[in-house]
Amino acid sequence: MSGDRAAGPLLSVRDVHRRFGSGPTAVQALRDVSFDVGTGSMVAVVGRSGSGKTTLLNVVGGLDSPDTGTVVVDGTEVTALDDDGLAGLRRRTVAYVFQTFGLIPVLSAAENVGVPLRLARVPVREREQRVARLLDLVGLAEHARQRPDELSGGQQQRVAIARALAASPKLLIADEPTGQLDAETGLAVMALLRGVVEAENVAVLVSTHDPVMMALADRVLRMHDGQIHEQEAP
Amino acid sequence: MTRRLRARPPAIHWPSVRGRARADAGPLLLVAAVVAVVTLLAGATPPLIRATADDAVRDAVRSAGPDAEVVATARFDYDDGVDGRVRNPGLREDVEDFRNRVDDALDPRLRAVLRRPVSVVSGPTFDVTDGSLLRTFQFTYLADERGAHSATQVTWIAGHEPRAAVPPEDAAISVPYQAPPWPVQVGLSEADAAALRVRPGDRIKLKDKNYRAKNVQVSGIFRANDSTDPTWRLAPGLLRPRSGADGVGNTRLGGLLSPESLPDARLAVESDELDRYVHFEANPDAISAGTARDVAAILVTLRATSTGSGSATAGDFSPRWQSQLDGVLGAVQIRINAATAQASVLLVGVLAGAVLVLLLAAALLARRRAQALTAARQRGAGLTDLGAELLLESTAVALTAAAAGLALARVAGPGISWRWAVPVVLAAAVAGPAFGVLRAARATRDRRVPANRSARLHLRRTGQIRRAAVEFAALLTAAGAMVALHQRGILPTPAASAGALAPWSDADDTAALASSAPALGVLVGALVLLRLLPPALRLALRRALRSRRPMAVFGTAQAAATSARALPLLVMVSATALATFALALGVTAERGLADAAWRTVGADVRLDAGQSEEVDVPALARRIAAAPGVRQAVAAQILDTARLTDGSGIIRPRLVVVDAAAYRELLASLPLPDAPALAGLAPTAPGAVPALVWSENGALRPGMRLELPRKDAPAVALTAVGTAPPVGDTRDVVIVDAAALTAAGVPVVPDTIWVTGPGAARATTGIAGVETVVRTEVLRERRTAPLTAGLLRLAWLSAATLAALGLLGLALGAAASAPQRWQTLGRLRTLGLRLRDGRWVAAGELLPAVLVAAAGGPLLGLLLALLTFDSLALRTLVGGDSDPAVAVPWWGAGLLAAGLVAAVAVVVWAESVLRRRRGLSELLRVGG
Repeated sequence: MSGDRAAGPLLSVRDVHRRFGSGPTAVQALRDVSFDVGTGSMVAVVGRSGSGKTTLLNVVGGLDSPDTGTVVVDGTEVTALDDDGLAGLRRRTVAYVFQTFGLIPVLSAAENVGVPLRLARVPVREREQRVARLLDLVGLAEHARQRPDELSGGQQQRVAIARALAASPKLLIADEPTGQLDAETGLAVMALLRGVVEAENVAVLVSTHDPVMMALADRVLRMHDGQIHEQEAP
Repeated sequence: MTRRLRARPPAIHWPSVRGRARADAGPLLLVAAVVAVVTLLAGATPPLIRATADDAVRDAVRSAGPDAEVVATARFDYDDGVDGRVRNPGLREDVEDFRNRVDDALDPRLRAVLRRPVSVVSGPTFDVTDGSLLRTFQFTYLADERGAHSATQVTWIAGHEPRAAVPPEDAAISVPYQAPPWPVQVGLSEADAAALRVRPGDRIKLKDKNYRAKNVQVSGIFRANDSTDPTWRLAPGLLRPRSGADGVGNTRLGGLLSPESLPDARLAVESDELDRYVHFEANPDAISAGTARDVAAILVTLRATSTGSGSATAGDFSPRWQSQLDGVLGAVQIRINAATAQASVLLVGVLAGAVLVLLLAAALLARRRAQALTAARQRGAGLTDLGAELLLESTAVALTAAAAGLALARVAGPGISWRWAVPVVLAAAVAGPAFGVLRAARATRDRRVPANRSARLHLRRTGQIRRAAVEFAALLTAAGAMVALHQRGILPTPAASAGALAPWSDADDTAALASSAPALGVLVGALVLLRLLPPALRLALRRALRSRRPMAVFGTAQAAATSARALPLLVMVSATALATFALALGVTAERGLADAAWRTVGADVRLDAGQSEEVDVPALARRIAAAPGVRQAVAAQILDTARLTDGSGIIRPRLVVVDAAAYRELLASLPLPDAPALAGLAPTAPGAVPALVWSENGALRPGMRLELPRKDAPAVALTAVGTAPPVGDTRDVVIVDAAALTAAGVPVVPDTIWVTGPGAARATTGIAGVETVVRTEVLRERRTAPLTAGLLRLAWLSAATLAALGLLGLALGAAASAPQRWQTLGRLRTLGLRLRDGRWVAAGELLPAVLVAAAGGPLLGLLLALLTFDSLALRTLVGGDSDPAVAVPWWGAGLLAAGLVAAVAVVVWAESVLRRRRGLSELLRVGG
C-alpha cells in the first residue's frame, strides 16, 4: 500500500485534548493527539474500548469539539465552525459511516443513497446518475428499489457507504463499520472501503478492532488511554 | 422420588424498585396526575348528580303548582227527609270530619311530603244574568286547620260574614222539593263586588244551567288578609274576576261561603251539585329523589284502590283520590334518568380517553426502562419478579393518586363514588407492568426475528390477522352499542326505570352498552383513521420524493416510518373527537335552552295579566310600545282553557287571539319560526274565521274545520287556513286574528303582551297587576336549574379534560418517539442537514398524525353527535318538547385543532432545546 498520495494533508489534527466531566471523575478522552491524513489514503484507528477512538473520530468530523487543539479538514478549521458551517462541511467534505447503518427505513436503497444529494439540491437527473453509479460501485445495482429491511446487514452497510460517498466527500469517517457484521461480510465491506479510496480518491479514517481490516489500511493509529501511541504502516 | 414444584413468591429487589422510581419520577408523576384528575371527575360527578337530582325533584314539585296537589273528593250524603230536603246545620263539621278522615287515610310516607290539608266546598257555576256580558258565578267554602277563611283569612270592609238563612231554632228545617230557591249569603271581594256592581244586602242575579233563578245575597265585602296565601289559588275567582275560566269571552266571579251559610248553599243547589274536596299541597322541601319513587308508587296505589266514584247518584260517598303528583315525579324521574345517562355518556368518554393515555404512558415507561429491564433479566430476575416489582410500583402510584382524587372530590362535592374510577385505576395499575414484562420477555427470549424473508412475512401476516380480529371485534361492539342506543334510547327501559329513580342505580345491561356507544364509535373511527394513515403517508411520500424539497421528503419519510404506532394517534383522535362531542353536547344544550326560552316567552318580555280584569291590557301595550328602546308591544289573548270541536271530538289547544299583522311583524324580528301564513288570517267568508293551526302530533292540520262553542250563542266556525308557529310550550296551537274573532261576535279580552327591543325589560319593570316574564331571566333560571347546570358543567369539564388528554397524548407520543427521531435527525445532520432544518423534519414527522387528529377528531366527534344526539333525550335537558338540533361548536373544534398543531411547534422546540444540550456525538451514540 502506498502512503499519502496528495501533496498536503487533507486532515490535520494538532494537539487535541478532550475531557469529559470534571473533578475526580473526569475522563481524559483525548490527550495531545496530533496526526495528518492525506487524500486518497485509508487510515485505521485501533484500540480497546474506551481508548478514545470514537471521540477522535467525532472531533475530526465536527460532531464534537475539542477542549484545545485544532482540526483542519481540506483547509477548513473545523473547530472554528458554527452549526451552519459544520453542516456545510458535512455536506461537501466529510461523510460518515456508522456501525448501525442509519438508513431511513421507508426509503429504498437508491432513495437512501440520494439523501445527501437532495440536501445539496443536486438536479434530479444528475442525482439519479450518481446514485446508480454508486450502487453499482457497492454492488447493489440490482437492489436499488429494495428497502433496508429487505436487505441483509452487509448490503445495508454497503448502501450506507454509497450514501456517504454520494456527495463526493473528501474525507470518509467510518466508526466500527463492520461491528454488526459477521467476519466475512465485514471483510467485504472493508474491501469495499479500500476500493472506494481508489475509485473515489477519498481519504478514509476508520476505527476497527479487526486485525484483518487493519491490513487493508495504509496506516494504523493505535490509541491507548486517549493518546496515539504508535503510527505504523501495516 | 418426585420433586414437587412449588411456586415461590416473587422476589422483590427493592433497590431496583427505588432506582426505577427515582429515574422515572416524571412519567410516574404524570400517570398519578392523570389518575388523580380523572378520579376527581369520575368520583365527584355521581354524587353531584345525585344531589342535583334532589334539587330537581324539589324544583319540579315547586313549579308544578296545582299538578303537584293530592285531592280527595267525595259527594255529600243525601239530605232527603220525609217530604223534602233537610237543612244540615252540621255541614261544617261534616267537612272537617271528611278532611280528618282522608288525612288519616294517607300513608305516612305520603303524608310526610304534603302540607296541611285545605277543605274546599264549591257549587256549580251559575250564569250572571245582570247585563250583557258573559259572566259566571260560583260560591266556595274554604277552610284549613286555622278555620274557615271567611273568619280567619279576610277582613270584612263592608257588611258582615255570611250568616245562616234561618234562625238557630230552624237550623234543621225541612224544605219542600218544590220550594222557591233557597236563600244563601255570600261575601264578595272588592273586585268582584265592583264587577257585579253590588253592595252588602244586594242580591246577585243568577240562574243555573236549567235557567232557574238563584237567591244569592251579598252579606259583605271582604279584603283578603294575604292575597298571596296559596289556598286562595284553589278558588281564584274569590279574589278577583277571572276572564276565560269558563270559555272564550267569559268571566268568572266568586262568592265566599262561611260555616253558617254553608248549609244554605247545600239547599240552594241540587243535592248532587255541591262538591267537597280536600287539597293537599305537596311540600317540595320534604321530597327527595330517594323518596319520590315511594311517593309516586303510593299515589298510584291510592288512586287504583280508591273505590269511590264520587257519584252521589250511584250512592257512593267514599273519597276518590286525584293527583298528578306521580306524573310530575315520573316526569322529573325521566329527566333525572336522562341526566344520569347523559352524564354517563360523558364520563365514559373521559374514562376512555384517560385509559388510552395511561396505556400510552405505560408504553413510554416500558420503552424508557427497556435497557434496565433487559439487564435485570440478564442478571437472573424472573418475569414474575419483574412483574411484581412493576405492579407494586404502579399500584402504589395508582392507589395514591386515586385516593388523592377521591379526597379532592369529597372536598369539592357532597360525596364520592369510586365505581367510575375503577377502570382508570386498573389501567394505571396493570398497563405499566404488562408493557414492562412484555418488553423484558421480548428482549430476552430466544426467538429472534427470522432471517428468512417468507418466515418474516408469515409472522407479519399473523400479526396483521390478530390485529384485524381485535379491530373487527371493536367494530362489532361499537355497532351493537349504536344499535342499542338507537333502538332503546339513552333512557332506561320501563322495566329498568321502575326501580331507577335514584340516580346511578343499576340499569339494564344494554343501558351501559348504549352509554358507551359514542366512545366506542369514536374508538372505531380512530382505528379507521389509524389504518388509513400509513397508506396515505406512503402516497404522500411518493409525491414528496418527486419534489425538490428535501425537508418534505425527510419529514414525510419519518412520518411514514412511525405511522404504524397506534397508541399516540388513537389517543389524539379519540380525545379530540370525544372533546368535540362533549363541546357539541354543551353547545347544543345551550342553544336549545336559548331557543326554548324564546319559545316559552315569545319575545324579550311577556306580560301576563292572567284572568284579572284590573289591567287594561291594550292601553298598557300602547304605553309600553311608546317607551324608549321598545320595538314592539303586541297584545293578545291566550286561552289554554278553550275547547274546540272538529266534528269528531273535543280539542283543547292553546287559542291565541292576536292582531295577526302585528304578530307576524313581531315574529319576523325575533329568532322564532316565521309565520307568513299569518297574512292569510283576514276573514274569508261571513261566519268562518280563518285560523292557523299547529300540532306536535298532527291532530290539528290546515284544511280542518273547527268550531268554537259559546254559552248561549251559536258556535263560531273556524277554518284552518295554514300552519301556525308554535306559541309557548304547548302541543297544540290555534291562532285567530283578533279583529276577525271580534267581527264574529266574540269579545276579545287581551291578557298578554309580547314586548321586544333592547328597552323591553326596563319598560316593563314594576307594572302592577301583571306577571312579567323576561326571556333572559327564564333562560338564566333554566340554565341554572340543578340538572341542566350540572350537565352543562360536566360537558365543559369533560371537553377540557379530554382536550388536555389529547395534548398529553401528543406529548407522550412525541416523547416515546423522540430518541429515534433525534437519532435519525442526527444522522441526517451528519449528511449535511442544518439544525434548524432538522426542526422542520421533526415537525414533519409529528404533523401528519396531529393533522389527522386535528381534522379527523373534531369531524368524528361531530359525526357521532349527529348520529347519537337524537337518542340522548336532550329535550329533557333544555326543557323543550323536542330535541334541539345539533349545534356545531366551531370555535371549540377550531381551538382544539389549533391547540394540537400549536403543540407540535412547542414539542419540537422543547425537544430541540433539550437535544441541543447533548452533542451530536452523544446523540448518535444512543442505540449505536
